[in-house]
Amino acid sequence: MPTGPDTASPAGTDVVLRALADPHRREIMRLIQDSELPAGQIAAHFTLTQQAVSQHLTVLKRAGLLEERREGTRRLYRFQPASLEPVREMLDEFWPDALQRLKRVVERDHPRRGAKGS
Amino acid sequence: MTEPVTASVRIAAPPEVVFPYFTDPALAVKWIAKAAYLDARPGGTLAIDVRGNPARGEYVVVDPPHRVVFTWGIEGREDLPPGSSTVEVVLRADGDESVVTLTHRDLPSEDQRRSHWEGWAEFLGLLAEQAGSSPA
Repeated sequence: MPTGPDTASPAGTDVVLRALADPHRREIMRLIQDSELPAGQIAAHFTLTQQAVSQHLTVLKRAGLLEERREGTRRLYRFQPASLEPVREMLDEFWPDALQRLKRVVERDHPRRGAKGS
Repeated sequence: MTEPVTASVRIAAPPEVVFPYFTDPALAVKWIAKAAYLDARPGGTLAIDVRGNPARGEYVVVDPPHRVVFTWGIEGREDLPPGSSTVEVVLRADGDESVVTLTHRDLPSEDQRRSHWEGWAEFLGLLAEQAGSSPA
């Protein structure tokens, strides 16, 4: 699956999980859920250092959970809903895999009678 | 609504042979899940496990050997509750083979995912924390 040079590669489920396995990062996600916010405004919600907040933002960005946009010297962040697509991903793989298994099983259970070689 | 998930496969057996694999639990367990409970008649229950997720639904159309339709959802998933999406399987004869086409419709739209994301993310995050995933 090709991805653009600057898009975060589709992060694996474990990357997304690790990114969410932190209450501060979940709080950040809540903040940007409905509106795009600059880094400073996000940091202002926390007692953490700006650097710590910036690290959390990086983790979330790498997991594909948020999108970063630069406006002059400011960095703005917003939620990237497409990243939370486990259902879709699960099924995108599940059905094709399942049908391939079905094919193998049926053809094994019902070998062609009188099949003349390959 | 989002684009449906589709998948298809050609099988070297006629639809009459393939169809029961969608309706007979003893055959379904060979390919779709380790455990399957299937009551293949309209209104009948379908319950299988998909990668550890409890998928639940009801048969809507059972029309051997060409078409079977069932609803589908995952127990405990607010964004895809049981009955919320629909899977249609069509088996078309091609010579003495079958072409099986599966279409999974009515999956949650982006807006719905978005409105549910918080609970889901919270849940996943807490799970991951409890499982001891080290913060990245």
